Amino acid sequence: MHPIGVQTKNVVNDTHPEEGFALLGRTGFSCADFSLNGYLLNTSLYEEKVNAFFDKSTGELEKFFTPHRQGAIAAGITISQMHMPYPNYVPRGSRELNAYLRNVVAPKSLAVCAFFDCPYLVVHGFKLAYFMGSEEEEWKETEKFLDFLAPMAKEMGITLCIENLYEGLGNHLVEGPCCRAEKAVERIDRMNDKYQAQVLGFCFDTGHANLVGLDFESFLMTLGHRLKVLHIHDNDGVADLHQIPFTFTQTRENLPSTDWEGFLRGLQSIGYQGALSFETAPVLTAFPQEMKAEALSFIARIGHYFASQLLPGAQAEHRR
Amino acid sequence: MEIICTITGIINTHHPKQGITDLINAGFSNLLLDFSRFCPPEELENIGISSKKSHAVTAPIISQTPEKLGEVVAPLLTHYQSCHLQTPVAQAPYLRANTRQVNLTSLLLSLYKESIHICGQAGCQFLIIPPLFSGIDKRDRWKINKDFYLRLLPTAKEDHVTILLENQCGDINGHLTRGVCSDPQEAAFWVDELNREAGEERFGFCMDVGICNLCGQNIQEFVLTLGNRIKAVVLRDCDGHKESSWLPFTYSGFERCGTDWLGLIRGLRKIGFDGELILDFSTTATAFSPFLRPQLLNLAKATGEYFRWQIGIENLLKTYKSRVLFGAGNMCRNYMKCYGEAYPPLFTCDNNAKLWGTSFCGLEIKAPQCLRELPTDCAIFICNVYYREIEQQLRDMGIGNPIEFFSDEFMPSFYFDRLERRE
Repeated sequence: MHPIGVQTKNVVNDTHPEEGFALLGRTGFSCADFSLNGYLLNTSLYEEKVNAFFDKSTGELEKFFTPHRQGAIAAGITISQMHMPYPNYVPRGSRELNAYLRNVVAPKSLAVCAFFDCPYLVVHGFKLAYFMGSEEEEWKETEKFLDFLAPMAKEMGITLCIENLYEGLGNHLVEGPCCRAEKAVERIDRMNDKYQAQVLGFCFDTGHANLVGLDFESFLMTLGHRLKVLHIHDNDGVADLHQIPFTFTQTRENLPSTDWEGFLRGLQSIGYQGALSFETAPVLTAFPQEMKAEALSFIARIGHYFASQLLPGAQAEHRR
Repeated sequence: MEIICTITGIINTHHPKQGITDLINAGFSNLLLDFSRFCPPEELENIGISSKKSHAVTAPIISQTPEKLGEVVAPLLTHYQSCHLQTPVAQAPYLRANTRQVNLTSLLLSLYKESIHICGQAGCQFLIIPPLFSGIDKRDRWKINKDFYLRLLPTAKEDHVTILLENQCGDINGHLTRGVCSDPQEAAFWVDELNREAGEERFGFCMDVGICNLCGQNIQEFVLTLGNRIKAVVLRDCDGHKESSWLPFTYSGFERCGTDWLGLIRGLRKIGFDGELILDFSTTATAFSPFLRPQLLNLAKATGEYFRWQIGIENLLKTYKSRVLFGAGNMCRNYMKCYGEAYPPLFTCDNNAKLWGTSFCGLEIKAPQCLRELPTDCAIFICNVYYREIEQQLRDMGIGNPIEFFSDEFMPSFYFDRLERRE
């Protein structure tokens, strides 16, 4: 069976991290997506506000995260994936800020990832198409960044995972970096060939895919074995809400408006064996605190349902 | 590059005179020949039940008698011809994205053959025929559509009509997603394969910007992937979530357009697009009072012309052997970044006397009076948003050179910063 995971954000705190991991274990999870991005928020970065968290030395970071690591081990939770802080480049940010993100935050994120024995680190591509003039030019900048990290990742046995993202046009969310599966495949293969290691993989984000109407099944089938991790969450197709799958309907028939069947068909077709990891932290602030455990249990239960549907023959011709 | 106006919300097909007059007065000379007005998606959804209003109950129901399509279209075409209106592109009847009809292939084939014949007779070069999708497994889409389009090929050849495939939305329980031919690579493959089978260029593509917008697609990538297979572009706006056809630039949020017009213009410029621009603002037109419609049509025409100008701006630069700029600010800087190498200006000029004799982005800044010494065929490109004021200034100076406006709203790339305003 696939491991079932969820973000640590809104569950695991720094004061008593062991309690959060224990809660994850009790509610049906076997792994977690460690929210390293929570230590350097994107909203602050866009305002050029950088806290001092990543000024810590690698040793200090390891010391800081030792209780988290021990808490996870004690609860039987593996850290199956981690999210690097983002953005990695602020287009109109200062030279100092962008140098700090590249030279300090990114390598230390890798070090923290290795400290947790976590095999996958999710990295956002640069959002530069508006300035650079095309997605291709934008990717060249992302690739330079990945090239900088790849030798370190190889040494640490970590796979960096690029993720399908969106861009905002006013209040309309549209296709952003890494939304073309064919291109992702070519780029991942080229980089892995170059480094003779699995330094690059893909993180498929169901919510982002839903926002820009991607064909889940085709996208996943094109990615194939390059798919390493998932961000599973749901939305109304309009805003990036990070809600529980099957939440949204748009017709009187009240059938799900997100293509979960295509998602399962795609995963089954490529024989995905990785974690079914949910990126649903906002759910845990929306529900009353008294219901946090039940909310987590429900999310985990959906994960187990998904896993059951991925068993051989379980949904081969599932309402195609 | 012709601007073609759709007629829904403007022309009542039973009483077309006023709508036609309004369109002509606004400067439109090309209209979409829209067969779906005579066999709308609602009718196809309810085969056998007429969706027509009481005044038209005697008209044939086209879904039952597709061979009579020509008969019902003829009066409108006669009106068009008498007013010298052209119909370079036609739209075939189509099914809704959430159609429940799964077995209309035979009827659609008849309708489309009939549509091709009418196009041939009306001198309409392009017919948009959307691909089949309903009830078809994704794995079988190409095979079934290939067979379908090739069955239309002999008629298209005979009538000298080019069939345009069009990107479609899928529908996941009310959520519009990427449907058949919305993947530009897939669409390009289909067009190429069909043309290979045809042995000539008998198929092309009509890119519906509204569909790209509904699917949140990277529109620039879409255009670049399809390239010169794109023969027509449907310009329409919507909120990115629900089907509608608003006038371009009317959807905005957070003080910014919600549609990727930048990507569209970047892409079309790059491929040197010179096809047809179909302006579809039927939802907007329907919403406006008939009293205001003439003014709306004027705005729509200006919007279409604006797209034509933006898309063709590089061709405009090419038109002149030599050119100078007027303005030494951000727009001049952007010109030099994106076009300075390919279309180098002789110099730029500015009204700010403090700048005369200095240089900017490698250009000497001269006084406007220097423009009097230009060779007569040298064009002056105004690189300043006070276009009309500067144009008047130059005309008042007695300058007879061609004066053109440059715009940096939709540039191939942008600087990360803006220069401070010069005093």
